[in-house]
Amino acid sequence: MSAPAIPLGARFRRSPGLVGLKREGAIAPVLAFVLFFVIYVAINPELLTRFQLQTAANLVAPLALVALAQLLIVLVGGIDISVAAVMSLTNVVFATQLESASPVVAGVLAVAVGMGCGLFNGLLSAYGRLPVIAVTLASSFIFGALATEVLDRPGGAVSEGVTLATSGELAPYVPVALVWVLVAAALLWLLLQKTSLGRHIYGAGSNAEGMRAAGLNARAAQLTAFVLAGGLVALGAILLAGSTATGDPKSGDPYLLNAIAAVALAGASFTGGKGSVVGTICAAAILGLVGNVLFFAGVDSYWQYVVGSVIIVAVVGIPVIVRRLGVRLKGASA
Amino acid sequence: MTSPTSTLPGAPAGASHPAPAPAEAGGAAPGSRGDAAPVLVAENLTKSYGTVHAVRDVSLACLGGEVHALVGENGAGKSTVAKMLAGAVVPDTGAVRVGGQALSSGSVRTARRHGVQCAFQELALVPDWTVAENLCLPDGSSLRRFARGRETRDAERVLAALDLEHIDPRRPVHEMPLADRQQVEIARAVSGDVKVLILDEASSALTPPGVEWLFARIRELTARGAAVVYVSHRLGEIREIADRGTVLRDGAVVSDFQRGSWTDDELISSMAGRTAARAFPAPPELRTSDAPAALEVEGLSGEAVHDVALTVAPGEILGVGGLQGHGQAELLRSLWGAEPATARTWKVAGRAIRRLDPVRAVHAGIGFVPEDRKREGLALELGVGENLLAPWVKPHQRGGAPRLKREKGWIDEVLGGLSVRTRGAKERSGALSGGNQQKLVFGRWVGRDRKLVLLHDPTRGIDVRAKQELYDAIVALAREGVGVVWFSTEVEELVHVCHRVVVLYRGAVADELQGERLTADAVVGAAVGRKVAA
Repeated sequence: MSAPAIPLGARFRRSPGLVGLKREGAIAPVLAFVLFFVIYVAINPELLTRFQLQTAANLVAPLALVALAQLLIVLVGGIDISVAAVMSLTNVVFATQLESASPVVAGVLAVAVGMGCGLFNGLLSAYGRLPVIAVTLASSFIFGALATEVLDRPGGAVSEGVTLATSGELAPYVPVALVWVLVAAALLWLLLQKTSLGRHIYGAGSNAEGMRAAGLNARAAQLTAFVLAGGLVALGAILLAGSTATGDPKSGDPYLLNAIAAVALAGASFTGGKGSVVGTICAAAILGLVGNVLFFAGVDSYWQYVVGSVIIVAVVGIPVIVRRLGVRLKGASA
Repeated sequence: MTSPTSTLPGAPAGASHPAPAPAEAGGAAPGSRGDAAPVLVAENLTKSYGTVHAVRDVSLACLGGEVHALVGENGAGKSTVAKMLAGAVVPDTGAVRVGGQALSSGSVRTARRHGVQCAFQELALVPDWTVAENLCLPDGSSLRRFARGRETRDAERVLAALDLEHIDPRRPVHEMPLADRQQVEIARAVSGDVKVLILDEASSALTPPGVEWLFARIRELTARGAAVVYVSHRLGEIREIADRGTVLRDGAVVSDFQRGSWTDDELISSMAGRTAARAFPAPPELRTSDAPAALEVEGLSGEAVHDVALTVAPGEILGVGGLQGHGQAELLRSLWGAEPATARTWKVAGRAIRRLDPVRAVHAGIGFVPEDRKREGLALELGVGENLLAPWVKPHQRGGAPRLKREKGWIDEVLGGLSVRTRGAKERSGALSGGNQQKLVFGRWVGRDRKLVLLHDPTRGIDVRAKQELYDAIVALAREGVGVVWFSTEVEELVHVCHRVVVLYRGAVADELQGERLTADAVVGAAVGRKVAA
């Protein structure tokens, strides 16, 4: 093998993957996750045991999926308030269907319901041209009510088999939930980066007006983003039902703000068009596990929100500060 | 050869499309110029927005192999006509035919499938996409694999075929200078199947070499028999490229003209409905005084400017020239405190600047007209008066409410002095035409004891009359002793209205021109990095 002409460091810095992450603002959350992981293991080496890995994965997986759904909506320039309600609804649909149907049928049904919710939001937002936040706020009450209608208190019939299939282990040290998330994320990443539909989703948030003027269909891309987001939320709800072994009409509630926070932490632009799948997963993992770290560090668990907020501000803010300092230093030395 | 007003007499309803005179005034493009049937026909197009008639009964016929210019002041309706031709706006009545076939409802997609391609002034590019994605992304969203490597190679081929090797297809569009973005937009339009090309102010951000490039593309297309509709304010460009043209005023056709049969004055008076002499006002005489310089800066460096030194005397108009993207925008924004920069010496009206941001800049006596009047200049939903008062509202007084009544005298003075065409101080600023919006952004600084006013290409994309009025206003401002730093992409403005011009090249001052050396050739030469010997 001949020696590379360009030094390895420079080659790495110019590699397309890294440039892409940088453009999507995902460098900081990825680094933050690595740092966070190291700290976690330092405080609690037990994380690397089979049992704790599995618990941690089950904690993070639903949030990661809901955050990916939120990312899709943020990419097309909105914020989806209804993710929590869609999650509750699909969660109870899954849990109650298990009483009579096979897990596969129940799962497919839950995902279909989630996509239906997304279709409703998407039609009103993309084709009805109503503000996303208003549409999803209104629909969140509707879906929330439907969830209570389906199941008014925690229950359902989640069997042990389902629990094992969603939150057990695929192989030693490989939690199933993690596999589900990684498969969903990989598919989503392929869709967003490697298909023209994906680029249209980015474009619809970046300049929908311009896309239309260029003869491209921005609305269809927006609608697709909503439908896909509904499906992802349903998948998260299924994993949650599996790991808690119940259906609960309020189960989605804690995920709304955390999902938005994860997207913010991932460096996505809330005006649309910018955001990263990899960054979002890392961000969801950090936010999902802050509580655990604090527990092992002996801090009261309600501090987790404060610490989570500090992490968001730091991760989003440090790159900005670094950039400003860079200009100042460059200017002074010139 | 006489007056260009071979007026279609008001084009009363029922008038069918005007059959263009077969007599051609020579000089048309080679190739298929004998084609009798027009490629693009617009019949009795009408469009209203609310109660405003934007376009009334406009008919056009564009021949293959010809460039048809559409001229008129801002608000004359030419942009609306261009958008109807391109399918972006649905006409209320009337029809557009391409090659005899009626284009159905207004959709850019169907128009493009019929070979009608367009490039707009407001860029129809997606800023976060790369050049390759903007050029090659297939029409319609699909799961078709977007192969980055192949798409990039396709884009490279397209760019190379169009002489645009300086554009990197892998770069996201928002990282590129405006002029390059505009070339990408034009490249997308001309690289497809083109029967009709519609260019709506598509040259407004291009530099002179960029315009030459555009004209070369247009000539290639007309040689192949395509029809080109060319909307522009720049009469020089129209003289060079247009085979025939149509003048619009208040949404209706007022006259037609043919190559070589018109003068600037005739066309302007036809557009304005009055005789107007196009003349650049001379900059005011510079008085020697012992007042400190309006701006004195040395060793100014920032992200895109390196070691720039400038001095502007009170009442002096300093032009800033150069190709887009060579640091002019950053220079102005730095002087306004909107972009970080450092300098060895930095004084405004004799007072040293230590820290600068836009609020401090207003206090220091600086005014700024930003690049994008719609995004950075105005709050479009607010009233005319509120926008004028924006820098002068004190947030701690009356909850920051603008004092429209108390400031009425000043507002009326500014609106009158700049001939802003508005229904009054309460009118929504977004309802004004581009030229009048620009006057609002400029008018903020009039009569407000400014020491230094920074202008970022204020005449870009506004009509001839508004330009003329802005020139006069800039000279009037200087006459009051205000130092003006004026970046313009129109070399003629710099040469005629400025005392002195510095030309930036790669973020540094390449040349400083004044007196006899201040010529268009010298400015353009320095802009491309070549000094012209005096």
